[in-house]
Order: sequence, then C-alpha cells, then structure tokens
Amino acid sequence: MRLFNLIFFFIFISYGCKKDPAPISGCTDLLATNYNPNAIISNDDCIYFNTTPYTFQNPYGFPNMNIPENNPLTMEGVSLGEKLFNDPILSADNSLACISCHQTNSSFSDPNPVSVGIDNIAGNRNASALINLGWNTSFNWDGSVLSLEEQAFEPVINPIEMHNTWQNVEITLNNHAEYPQLFKNAFNIDYIDSNHVVMAIAQFERSLISTNSKYDRFLRGEVQLNPSELNGYAIFNSEKGDCFHCHGSQMFMDNLFHNNGLDSEPFNDLGRGKITNNPNDYGKFKTPTLRNIEFSAPYMHDGRFFTLEEVIDHYNSGGKYSSTVDPLMKKIGVGLQLTNQEKEDLIAFLKTLSDTDFINK
Amino acid sequence: MKKYFLCLMIVFFFSCKKEEGCMDPSAANYNSDATIENGDCTYNLISININFSQTVNQNPLVLNEMIYTNEANDNFSIQTVRYLISNIFLHSVDTSILIKNVHFIDVDNPESSSIIVNDIIDKNYTQISFTMGLIENENQTNLYLNEDFFPSFVWPEFLGGGYHYMQLEGDYNNLFLGYATHTGPTNGIDYSFTKNFDIPTNIQDGSSITINMEINNWYSNPNVVNLYNGIMQNSNIQAQLQENGITDVFSIVISK
Repeated sequence: MRLFNLIFFFIFISYGCKKDPAPISGCTDLLATNYNPNAIISNDDCIYFNTTPYTFQNPYGFPNMNIPENNPLTMEGVSLGEKLFNDPILSADNSLACISCHQTNSSFSDPNPVSVGIDNIAGNRNASALINLGWNTSFNWDGSVLSLEEQAFEPVINPIEMHNTWQNVEITLNNHAEYPQLFKNAFNIDYIDSNHVVMAIAQFERSLISTNSKYDRFLRGEVQLNPSELNGYAIFNSEKGDCFHCHGSQMFMDNLFHNNGLDSEPFNDLGRGKITNNPNDYGKFKTPTLRNIEFSAPYMHDGRFFTLEEVIDHYNSGGKYSSTVDPLMKKIGVGLQLTNQEKEDLIAFLKTLSDTDFINK
Repeated sequence: MKKYFLCLMIVFFFSCKKEEGCMDPSAANYNSDATIENGDCTYNLISININFSQTVNQNPLVLNEMIYTNEANDNFSIQTVRYLISNIFLHSVDTSILIKNVHFIDVDNPESSSIIVNDIIDKNYTQISFTMGLIENENQTNLYLNEDFFPSFVWPEFLGGGYHYMQLEGDYNNLFLGYATHTGPTNGIDYSFTKNFDIPTNIQDGSSITINMEINNWYSNPNVVNLYNGIMQNSNIQAQLQENGITDVFSIVISK
C-alpha cells in the first residue's frame, strides 16, 4: 500500500514538473522570417520577407530583358549590388572595387587600355562598358560566360584582378556590421554566400540602363539632329558606312562576334576562338554597344584606339586581312573611303548616342 | 405481288446508300460504306521533321573555302548563310495547317536546321508551301524583338525598316574582297516569294521533309548576278535575285 502511494506521489510530481514551463508563444507560420519552431501559441507577430520590385520601362525597340527566374530585380537587391560594386571589400587587400575599373564617368569602363589588379599586374583586355547589359546574351569580349551572375564570380578571384578567394569574401561579409542585414533584406538569408553576392551585383548591373541620349530624344521627336549628325546617321545606316550590320537596332550591337580586321595572323589574342576552339572563330570579339561610346574610350578589345577618329580611320583604311576577317569589312586595305567631312559627320552622329544622365547616375 | 417485291428492293437499296459515317479516307475511322458524312472523323497523330539544307552545285555546303565559281565567273567562298523561312504550311485536299510562322536558319547553328513538328493529324498531305523572307505586312520594325534573328537581321528604319530575308556572305575573287548578298524589303518593296511543292509520297509518322537551298542558283537562271556589296538599296538586283530564287533555288526531298 505504501509502495503504491509512493509511486503515485512520484508520478504526480513528474507530471507536475512537466507542466511547469508556460507554453512558448511566437510566430508559428513557416513562411515568416521570424518563424519559431518551438512556439506552440501564435503571438500574431509574424514578420514576412518582403522586397520591393525594381521597375523600369523596357526601352523602345529593345527585346525583353534577360532576367534569371531566381534573381528578379528588387530595390533591396539593386541597392545592395551597388554597394558591393563600389566597395573594395571584395578585393584581397581592400584596395580595389568593381568601380575602380568600371568607372561611372567612362560609361562604367576603364579609361586605360587595360586594367591593373591589386598586385600591379595588368590584364590584356579593355574593361567593358557596363551599359544595357541586361540585353546581352553573353559577356566578356569572348562571350565566355552567359550570365552576369556567372561573370561576377571571376574578377574577385582572378589573380591579376581582385586576387581574393570566395571563402575569404564570405567570412569578411558575414562579419561585417551592415552586410548581413542588407543580404537578409534582399534575399532573406542568414548566411552570406558567394551566390548571393553575385546575384546582387548582377541586379545592379541590370539596372544600368541608358536610353536618354540625344538620339533617343530625336526618335521621340523632342529634339532635331543637326545636318552633320543627320548625314552621319545616313552613313551609319546605309551600306556606305555599313555600321548597322553589327551595331544595329536600338541596342547598337548584335550580340555576335566578329573579326573587324584589326590584326594579321597569328593573332595575339584568339578571342572567341579560345572559347569555342573553332579556328573559324579566331580573332573574333563581341560587338560592343555604341551607346555612350564617346565616354568609353579607349576602344577595341585591347583598348588600342584612344579616339573615335582613330576608330573611324581603321574602318576607313579597310583593316588587315586574316582568314576569319568579316566579309562585311568588304575591301581589306581599301576601306570605306569616307571623306574627312563624312568622317566628322559619322562621329557627330556617334556622339548623339551619349547619355549624360547615365554617367551622372 | 411482284410490284410489292420491287418496292421492297428499292427501299433496301436506298437504305444501304444512306449509311452514315466518316467519309475521309485518311481518317482512322474511315468508313468506306458510308454515304453520309457524320462529322465524327478521328485521326491518328504523327510527328515529322522539316529540315533545311544547303547545297552548292548539288554538293553539301562547305564553309570558308574559296572553292566555288558562279555563273558570272566569280570565284567565291561562303562564310555566312542566314535566312528566314516563314508561313510554312502543309496542305491536304481540304485543310491547311500552319507548321511555323517564322523560322530562322543560321548554318552556324545546327539546331536551326530542323523543326520538329509534333502531333499533327495524319492526313494525306499533298503540298508544302513556305515563303522565302517575310511578306510585307509581317515585315515591320519592332516585330520579332524577342526572336533569335533580332537584332542581327534588322533592316534599318533609315532603309525602310523591317528585317533582312537573307544574309549570304563570303569572300570573292581574291581574299581581300567581301560580298554580302543581303536580300530584303529594298525601298519598301516586298521581294519575298512563296514556293509551293507537291509532296509525291504520303508522309507518315517519322517522315522528314527537307527544304534545300541551292546557293549557287541565286546567281543564275534567268539572271546572271555578280557578287556585289551594297545591294540593300538596289531594287534592280533585288528583283533579279527574287526571280532567280523563284526559279530553282529551292527544292524538297521527302524521306521515309
């Protein structure tokens, strides 16, 4: 009998102990950012992940922008991307940011023919202008990558650029005073990884849209082009200058690769051919847009021409023969035969593609 | 009594004639005894391929080699072959089905050499028709912004707008001259043309229809055309190329 009493007593006590702590109240919604898996009672204080879409009007005559499904543009993402773009934190010694070689005043390109990395080693190609990139189907002069996200992985770890490691970048960012919260706001993540760093940078790059040049305002009927600019427009868009076959449409590029007769063989830089291993692609490079071309000197993949005059002179003299030179170069060594006035007019037209709003962003 | 028998015969005779059913011989439930179409024909579905090939003097195209000679005695190589084929239709006696609105062929992109056509009704198709290029009202600036031939096929608005029909490029006579046989809506005139070919054998599931372009015929028959540059504003040459194109540039082959 006593034994029974004792057992009951213990059972009573043990149940009493279990009931002691009050039920945890908290957010019980799995979809909330502050979901508490231990909570039993909902406290109605759930916080939900919410971003503001970054909206823009698709420019006249442009296709839909290429935006990966998993990385839509948000205000939070674009603004985080801009901060990362401008921050030397991505480089190994905290000395070099994206913007160091993609300078705003130069239409986000490098005013030097080639860029110099943190170890004072120069690259071999001109840093591309970052303008209307969301409509490109491949990136780098050789089209080696197919998305901006993929592209942004490279410079950070390239030994002659930022010479960092992604592991190091992740440690630095996760221990930073501001970035963890900014990544949380943009992507709802608690640990910053390299994937989300490049996603933010890519969002910012897609937001670099230029369609407010004098030429755009001319198309909208807001301004007139002067006679010299109009003549340049005609040369550009007829087979006399034949600029439009590669620099066509409102995008002023064709998303393709061409050999425009810069060099004879053997090529110092195989360009596209190095990626495809196809000899027919040797010496071909991706057509850059001509929008803001006035600001993005020097020109060509290796920055060999410092002025638009030099560029036009190249086409006017017909370039050099090689087995892959584009048939549209037509008369190698003879060229377009434009008069000085026609060259001036063509350059006057090219300068109507300048968008000062863009470089003053 | 004989009269009644005759009447009975007549009744039977007419009742036989009145059998209802599907009267389309290409239908899966074709009823050869039916005399009244009941509108309930069902068809098997088949999948076929439409292929696009290119030849020069009946041999498969070889790119980037100065091995060809045209009717005008120009030696030439071929580096770029891109063209638009639009409004591809298969026709049977009573219906026409649209296979594809616009198809862009680029010999640098092997995927563009074939259209897989899935689940079309199995009928006795007797003809295939298509348009080389784009007809006028389908050839407008800013149409096709999201197609793979944008922007490379843009025909500048300054030259009337719309899109090229074809970009055929290479070197000629010596390596330092490039030609560009670019056809399109020169001076706003529609130089596209439509071809119609009989399909001699019945196509079935897995059949292929190959539309071949004999490239050298662009430059001969009836007009001998030199290799030029700068023909995008030359209506005369565009008209000659169109006429040559209609004559014998295209042919079809059915396999299987």
